[in-house]
Amino acid sequence: MRQKAMFAMLALAMVLLVRNLYTISMLPDEVNQGQIFRIIFFHLPAAIAAMLGSAVALVASVLFLVKKNFQYDALAVAVTEVGLAFLAVNLVTGSIWARVIWGVWWAWDPRLTSALICWILYAGYLILRQALEEPTQRATFAAVYSIFAFTDVPIVYFSIRWWRTIHPQPVFFSKGGSFPPDWSRALLVNLVAIFLLYTVLTMIRLRQEQTQREIDYLRRTVHAT
Amino acid sequence: MRFLTLTPVMAVLMQAAYDPIREEIGRLQRNFQGLIWGFVAAWVILLVYTLMLTARERKIRREMERLKSMVEETGNK
Repeated sequence: MRQKAMFAMLALAMVLLVRNLYTISMLPDEVNQGQIFRIIFFHLPAAIAAMLGSAVALVASVLFLVKKNFQYDALAVAVTEVGLAFLAVNLVTGSIWARVIWGVWWAWDPRLTSALICWILYAGYLILRQALEEPTQRATFAAVYSIFAFTDVPIVYFSIRWWRTIHPQPVFFSKGGSFPPDWSRALLVNLVAIFLLYTVLTMIRLRQEQTQREIDYLRRTVHAT
Repeated sequence: MRFLTLTPVMAVLMQAAYDPIREEIGRLQRNFQGLIWGFVAAWVILLVYTLMLTARERKIRREMERLKSMVEETGNK
């Protein structure tokens, strides 16, 4: 049942993304930036998905510390790992966009820098997990680290409001933002598709984590006998 | 004096070097290439991650089967 739901979600995500490619190509060019502005249809949903993933990781980490249930630890590691891939998509597409519009691949701008720090922090979370052998100790340390890592997420989001930056101001959820309705619709479709993809990858990774736990249990059984 | 005679020639050469239409076509091409590279990069990252997940899945399954057979063997003994 779970497998079927995963396949259905993956198929829906792929259909939406491929179909939306056509819609995106038919949209008129942005006045100042031209065609490159279309990169927003991947850049923004990837960022939102990664940020929501880190929020889920925060909640799962807190719940693990409170209830000591390893399901929450498994969920935290799954959403963090998938989120790291999506944050990489956000950083790379942003860098290509910057090269075309600003003329440089990278600028040490508050938004870009805080996003890069966020990526490094969550990569550190995965490295920390590799370094610890004992499951309870690993889950506890990782949960505390995940809570600490999340402190960077609001900084990433608010960096363009708090500091002077060359990164554009938000086009959504802000008073000054304006996005034509057909562009908003196409962006929303991509957002849904990326969320579906994120969910499917998280479910796969979660199942792997649960199987890994079973493997650890079997290993202990084999060594004990 | 010699500079004065060269000035119109230089002006014509500079005009020929700066062609606004060619400049605009170049800008549009760079713009389009950037967009394509952006889309390709996004898909490649997700594809590589999916391949990593698949490889891990295979490794975990192999390990699980190996351990299950070991447990069965020790149970038979």
